[in-house]
Amino acid sequence: MSASSIQAPKGKSTTVKSTFNRETTVSIEIKADPAIVWTLLTTASDYPRWNSTVTSIEGNIAHGEKIKLKSILDAKRTFKLTVKEFVPGKRLVWGDGQGNRVYTIESKGYGNLIFTMTEKIGGLMFPMYASMIPPFDETFEKFAADLKRESETITNSK
Amino acid sequence: MTIELFTQEFEGIRGQLKSYLLRITASIADAEDIVQDTYIKAVEKLYTFRGESSLKTWLFAIASNLAKDNLRAQKRWVENVTDITKAAALSNRQFFEEAMHIRMTSPQGQFEIKEHIAFCFTCISKSLPLEQQLCIFLKEVYEFKVAEIVIILNTTEAMVKYYLHTGRTKMIDIFEGRCALINKEGICHQCSELNGIFNPKQNAQEEIMKIEMAREADSGKKEHLLDLRLLILKEIDPFKSNAAELQLHHLEHNRQVMEKYSEKVAD
Repeated sequence: MSASSIQAPKGKSTTVKSTFNRETTVSIEIKADPAIVWTLLTTASDYPRWNSTVTSIEGNIAHGEKIKLKSILDAKRTFKLTVKEFVPGKRLVWGDGQGNRVYTIESKGYGNLIFTMTEKIGGLMFPMYASMIPPFDETFEKFAADLKRESETITNSK
Repeated sequence: MTIELFTQEFEGIRGQLKSYLLRITASIADAEDIVQDTYIKAVEKLYTFRGESSLKTWLFAIASNLAKDNLRAQKRWVENVTDITKAAALSNRQFFEEAMHIRMTSPQGQFEIKEHIAFCFTCISKSLPLEQQLCIFLKEVYEFKVAEIVIILNTTEAMVKYYLHTGRTKMIDIFEGRCALINKEGICHQCSELNGIFNPKQNAQEEIMKIEMAREADSGKKEHLLDLRLLILKEIDPFKSNAAELQLHHLEHNRQVMEKYSEKVAD
């Protein structure tokens, strides 16, 4: 396969389901400085300004910290999460007992990067409550599109 | 560069440094102290200045570093600072008596709506994170380029752009929600209220219409309205204008009120 035939990811999500877990992933190409993408992902108070899927995040997004996240996915629920991995500019993981959300930034040089967000939820009890968890696909695509738009706008500002 | 030549050039920049530091600390005394400390530090380090940036950039870098260590600069206010300080002023007879005395006796005691717009921006900008506030003032009021702000704040171009974009967006949202000069539904009418107190014979609406930002309020161009607001700040030296003494008196009042408010919230 030639390099030119490799399609840059466009922000379309995919979900793989099995009996005991479900994994949703979205990847998107962003033409921005990775530092800007990382800052957007790790500045809790700023999320509602640029991200149409997150209503609020309380707390400090740093390794080992606990955060409280509210999402349009379930407006009445507050997700209490722990930041499990924090590799500046590259990888961020937060989650709870049910699953983890993983963000990765892969620099491609020349001001390009690939942003990927994955969430895997599951466990032995998963089949009992799987039907109550709404699909993530739409919010994942919105999240990725919002991040792309905001970080490219900032990168291109004068 | 000799100390004599440096001192001469410093004097040419002193006014801008002082107004910048006032806008960051909201304190006349702290602004004056930091200007003095900037001079002393610059003289001590003059041998390291090799002209890789302009002297103005170098001095603003020293001043910004000192400001970042200043407790009053570090203190963050809240978006509705003008509501809180207005309520405090209304119950403080002495404040109004002093203000009226300045209005009647000082050559720098005029009340001008443009001056109040600049004053208001200073107060509300203290609700932004410090880095965002510094970047907005450096770029939009003191006309530094992004590359120069990178040097002044010792950060990266990406972060300067992030701070600028985020700070501007927040200021646009705050003014859009509050300022009756640009939004008929805006909840803050302090410009016209104070104009009524200090200039009772003026028609506030006529005065407001002299301001380009207010005339263009219906354009819907929010970024442009913020630029027009910042242009007002650029044209005003808060220490030298015809309204300086009145506005500085007001700023001291607001700072004291916000310091007490912060203590109360912390308790």
